[in-house]
Amino acid sequence: MQGKRRYIILFLIYKNLQLKYKHSVLGFLWSLLHPFMYLLIFLAIFSAAFSTTENYPLYVLSGLVFWIYFAGATGQLCNVFIKNTHLIKSLNLPKIIYPLTELGSELVSFLLGLIPFMVLMCFLGMHITFNLLYIIPVILLFSIFLFSVGLILGSLNVFFRDVGILWNTISPALFYLSPIAYAFKLVPERYKFIVKYNPLYHFLELVRNVLWQNQPPDMHYVGRCLLITSVTAILAFLIYSKTRNGFISNL
Amino acid sequence: MDPVIKLNNVSVSYLQNRKGVHSIKDFVLKASFISPFKKHRVLHNIDLEINKGDSVGILGPNGSGKSTLMRTIAGIIKPDEGFLKVGVRVSPLLALGAGIELELSGYENMRIALALSGNYNKTTRKEMIQKVTDFAELTNEQLMMPAKMYSTGMLARLAFSSVMTCQPELLMIDEVLAVGDKGFQIKCMNRIHEIIKNGATLLFISHSPNEVKEICTRGICLKEGKKIYDGSSDRAANVYTKLF
Repeated sequence: MQGKRRYIILFLIYKNLQLKYKHSVLGFLWSLLHPFMYLLIFLAIFSAAFSTTENYPLYVLSGLVFWIYFAGATGQLCNVFIKNTHLIKSLNLPKIIYPLTELGSELVSFLLGLIPFMVLMCFLGMHITFNLLYIIPVILLFSIFLFSVGLILGSLNVFFRDVGILWNTISPALFYLSPIAYAFKLVPERYKFIVKYNPLYHFLELVRNVLWQNQPPDMHYVGRCLLITSVTAILAFLIYSKTRNGFISNL
Repeated sequence: MDPVIKLNNVSVSYLQNRKGVHSIKDFVLKASFISPFKKHRVLHNIDLEINKGDSVGILGPNGSGKSTLMRTIAGIIKPDEGFLKVGVRVSPLLALGAGIELELSGYENMRIALALSGNYNKTTRKEMIQKVTDFAELTNEQLMMPAKMYSTGMLARLAFSSVMTCQPELLMIDEVLAVGDKGFQIKCMNRIHEIIKNGATLLFISHSPNEVKEICTRGICLKEGKKIYDGSSDRAANVYTKLF
């Protein structure tokens, strides 16, 4: 039985990936072009304004790649139960499989996209040391956080369809509230608390520790991110287990 | 012999939106903060025993709880009262178009359907796909096309074949036979008889009393969530016809 489940999970991941890129001519290339375009825009507009930030292109790119992973995955997870209505109504599988496979396919395309961007980051002056390997646990932790956020959104979206619409509105705002195109230290002192309450900021710090500063992640931020992730995960689990039995009657 | 499926006083409810709450705005404005959902009972105190090898037709008007009964037996919906025991491995519910991805090709859909029903592994992969292809009578060219280009009948062939080529312990069919052409319908009927002969149990939802009479030995008639008849398929078909 276990083996069967694993097969189903792998198959659904594969299906999601196929669906994502099937009917576009450039296919997978789109997932590379998208951050690249943003990068060019930011460099053109902001590099003069933020010239005090050391190696600004690398700073932007490292944040951007993770932001796109976040925005893409939460957006997909938000609709994951609605999208799989047919399967949920006709298969006796744990419903958690659908968000899991959705995240799985998002993670795969993120990792594939990361390879060329790592190459580009090297050209932008990233040093290749063993410290870079710290990015693996950072990605893992970030993915668990993403999954939890997505599970909360997805579960609630079954009952209140405006959760999805609301998230589409909030997430671009979140982009500007996160230090992606600008450096945190440039934020005026009295507004800093806004950014600090944004959970993404702490994850971005971890990413920058590794990719931009080429250091092991700062334990201070590791602690905070672990805390944020555990709280979100517990919340997600509570919401999901409270709502899952009502999915069928509301899909 | 112990029944493979046993329902004892099973009731199933859906959560229904009270006062038409569909958005957070409504939730705040209309429903205050008491739960915006009320329970709507779909199945009332169902008692049912099905033995291994039984072929049971389920008849009833629209909205009488046929599909809900089947989903409950399949373990997809949890009953809120009563006792339910299912002692066989359940195949996926066969409802029209379930799990067909219109953007993907016929072959890709076949593989997914086989994987989801737990009948796909490396050793039998080629063989299974060949069997499904033969059963569906779709050409290689058709199977390479995305499923969105299929006619309704071709979709039914694709969906149906993926399940029909396996030998499930419990086959559940939710009104799908009507879509294919005559030839395919006959083929499906023959295959269903074969599956039953090989020892499977069948649950069959239909609106056609004649199909139920032909395939099933036993018939159940539901009305407004209650079982109003359980007995021979001929009598059940009569009860059903008299409802209208």
